[in-house]
Amino acid sequence: MRRRALAILRYVALVLIATVLLLPIYWLIMSSFRPAGDIFRYAGQFGLETLVPQRLTLENYQQIFAASFPRALFNSLFVCLATVALGVLVNSMAGFAFAVFDFPFKKALFVAVLLSFMMPFESIVIPLYTLMRTLRWTDTYAALILPEVAGGLIIFLFRQFFLGIPKEIYEAARIDGASWWRIYLQMTLPLSGPTIATASLMMFIHQWDAFFWPLVATSSADLAVVQVAIARNMTLEQANWGALFASASTAVIVAAIPFFILQRSYVRVVAVQADK
Amino acid sequence: MPARRWIPYAFLAPALLGLVIFRFTPICLSLVGSFFGQSIRGDSIFVGVKNYAELLGDPAFWSAVTTTLIFNLIINPFQVVCALALAMLVRRPARFIDVFRASFLLPMTVSIALTSIIWSIMLDPTLGPVNGFLRWAGLPPQPFFRSADQALTTLILVATWKGAGYWMVFLLAGLLAIPKELDESASIDGANAWQRFFGVTLPLMKRPLAFVLVADTAANFLLFAPVYIVTNGGPNGATQLLMFEAYQAAFAFLNHGRSLAISTIILVIILVIALFELRLFRSEDETVA
Amino acid sequence: MSSLSRRQLLKTGLAGGLALATPHVARAQTTLKVVWMGWPDNQVLPLMAEFEKRNPSIKLAVERMPFTQIFQALEVRLNGRTPDPDIYIVDSPLTASYAARGHLMELDALIDKSRFAPAGIGAASYQGKIYSAPFGSSMQVLYFNRSLFGAAGVEPPSADVAKRWTWEQVVEAGRKLAKPAENLWGFTFEQQERPYQLLPLGQSLGGVALSPDGLKASGFIDGPAFVEGFGFMQKLYTEAKISPPGQFDTALTPELFGSGKCAMLLGGTFIFDTLKSKFPNLDFAVAPHPYFARGKPVTPTGAWHFGVNPRSTQKEAVAQFVRDMLSYDMNVLWFKLRPYVPTLNAVWQKENATFSSDMWKIAQSEMQNTALARPATPGFREYEDILRVTLRDMQSGGNVKDMLTAAAQKIDREIAKYKG
Repeated sequence: MRRRALAILRYVALVLIATVLLLPIYWLIMSSFRPAGDIFRYAGQFGLETLVPQRLTLENYQQIFAASFPRALFNSLFVCLATVALGVLVNSMAGFAFAVFDFPFKKALFVAVLLSFMMPFESIVIPLYTLMRTLRWTDTYAALILPEVAGGLIIFLFRQFFLGIPKEIYEAARIDGASWWRIYLQMTLPLSGPTIATASLMMFIHQWDAFFWPLVATSSADLAVVQVAIARNMTLEQANWGALFASASTAVIVAAIPFFILQRSYVRVVAVQADK
Repeated sequence: MPARRWIPYAFLAPALLGLVIFRFTPICLSLVGSFFGQSIRGDSIFVGVKNYAELLGDPAFWSAVTTTLIFNLIINPFQVVCALALAMLVRRPARFIDVFRASFLLPMTVSIALTSIIWSIMLDPTLGPVNGFLRWAGLPPQPFFRSADQALTTLILVATWKGAGYWMVFLLAGLLAIPKELDESASIDGANAWQRFFGVTLPLMKRPLAFVLVADTAANFLLFAPVYIVTNGGPNGATQLLMFEAYQAAFAFLNHGRSLAISTIILVIILVIALFELRLFRSEDETVA
Repeated sequence: MSSLSRRQLLKTGLAGGLALATPHVARAQTTLKVVWMGWPDNQVLPLMAEFEKRNPSIKLAVERMPFTQIFQALEVRLNGRTPDPDIYIVDSPLTASYAARGHLMELDALIDKSRFAPAGIGAASYQGKIYSAPFGSSMQVLYFNRSLFGAAGVEPPSADVAKRWTWEQVVEAGRKLAKPAENLWGFTFEQQERPYQLLPLGQSLGGVALSPDGLKASGFIDGPAFVEGFGFMQKLYTEAKISPPGQFDTALTPELFGSGKCAMLLGGTFIFDTLKSKFPNLDFAVAPHPYFARGKPVTPTGAWHFGVNPRSTQKEAVAQFVRDMLSYDMNVLWFKLRPYVPTLNAVWQKENATFSSDMWKIAQSEMQNTALARPATPGFREYEDILRVTLRDMQSGGNVKDMLTAAAQKIDREIAKYKG
């Protein structure tokens, strides 16, 4: 009896929380299918018209896809995937070093790694931009990808996870004559599925959300990223709410795809591992 | 573990190279820059500790420090608890649990800028659906972001809306890694749900919790978009966070030296708190900083 | 694979490399890097394309930055003091700020002052020299919803500038039209917190917003005229309750008006076309900007100019850009793309058909008689940002004089750096 009551309570909580979390996204997507004049017509009240569009239209989506939005989507996807691919490798190696070895300056280096994500970006943007100019990387994909590959937070994430792997299993491999590189590649990484998934998610989201740095570091329309393309729909004199919501909705849905893939797979992997 | 001397550094090298070039160097330049001022023609002038002295003597600065500390004292534990609660809710299998897990994650896909814009419209006193609902239900409409009393709380809730699912991901991974047998044997031994939680679950969650708390602390001290987009530090300074002060100093008051000084102070505060949090959640075998 | 000899490979590689490295000598082409506002593609690209058509040897690499962060991104770029960008968009009151900091080239040699309205040249100048190109201006009019006026039985304002409404009349009408409990309002500013919109309140009562040298706010912005003017603004929210508080998104206030939730909107001529196309069932008309009965009518003005980077290496090309963009034809084209109030006298004189509507007749009269640009000061960013926050905070109450004095002190402290 008590179990049933708890189960029902659990479902009620789940539904309530899901509603709060999904409502604004629902409103965003739903508004993107409204004609321009209707978006705020039923605002401020509450009724069927507020929740469900009276007139549906695809004109907002037609507008953005006829313009440069698809290019922005492509740019962001490319930058995100490149960052993730390089970042997983580079940062997990560093996390491995901190978790497994003892070496001079380890503490100081770790503190430095922590420091690297604690500085407000606005204060380092000017020296970073100067650096891009010196390297002649302004207006290139390199400027968008490379500065974001090494990340203190991701190193920290991998280090935390790798600390939980018992050192004994490495000892056995070492006795067998395995090199540390082989151990990292063939023992540690395969055990780290969920962490790799979460690290990928973090880096993907970080790059997907990037706005100010791409704005400063690149200028040609060919390199515009998705957040800049979305923001262009707002100016002082007016906002193209329809295009804004349509592009924002598209960005949300596209970003959600890697999510759902990753979350299903790692939950299964972790659950299997825990049963071992 | 024993290894040849250069092996650890070899593993560190690529990341370290990236961090040195793209983070440490600009950060050091900024730290040094905080001891300089700029003439209106762009020349750097060494001013020593003048920027810091001015800040410490400015009541507006201290007000921002207080607001920021209160904000973080509330939001960091709040978000971690929410994330943990969400993770506990979706941990055990159930019907449609996949759907619920996915729905909790969806706010992550909305950038913080877009989150701020959408919520500022949703909570708009006149045009917002939330107030529309309140009016329909016969309740008084609320000012939310537009009232000095409610603004900070609204900010915390909006930031948590986006953050709870995000941090839940890490804690869920941690929870799912706990072998079922441990929980089951504790249950057989007669431990109730609370005892199992504090005795079995929490100790095994130290590492994920440490990560989430430190990362969340940094994220919240650096929170900027909602203040810039929605509240502009107001009403009446209710949301004047240090990060926004730093931003205003750089881009509104064109005083880069002061902005860098504020940023340095933020950095130091975050580091101190982060190190404290790491100690709090230290596991036995860690040589934590 | 047939073994290509090493020599053959080297030769091919060398030839390929040379081909890539040699610039096309077909035609001497310069590229100008232009930072423009992120207005829609179809409103910016035709202008740039027209310029390229007239000047085949100049290519324009146009970057359209979103409004939300354009000033900040420009600051990062300009901070490096490089030749990039060649041309950038300049909000007219920022002319002095950029010029004082050495980011703008003098344009006197390229601009014939007599072709422009004096207000336009004034907004483009700093210390007697022209630093930004007066590419357009702005004007505010009072939009009102005719059906709401009719339903409430209130006599609407006239479009005749001689019969301009006073602020007192606006409040009186607003009280009859507003039903705050039903979320229906009488009046709103388009930009509820910006000095652009609100300074005319104090200026109408004779207030001067900043010292003539642009370096002192105390004694000016906190003087009696502005205390009374902003106090009046405050009462719209706190006492008369005819204005919806907290509407700081300038893209949302027209939605309020367009969806019939607010009977009057003091907004730019710019949104006229948007209102017509987005809200086809809205029955609205325009009237002149209100004023205080015991004062004089004052209207805000100033808009988007563009400026030249003094470090640009393409001196001839940028000169050509300035000359061409300020030509009659290009101004007319720009007006067709984005109907800003023209600064070029010839446009007003020749395009009679366009400017014969009520709104444009009002705009023309105001530009000549009542328009007042924002105060010229190198510290405009500081001035505007501090004042914005204060004006925003005033909506919830508080002693207006104290708030203005505190703001003035803060402004003085920040703009002190521009002295000498």
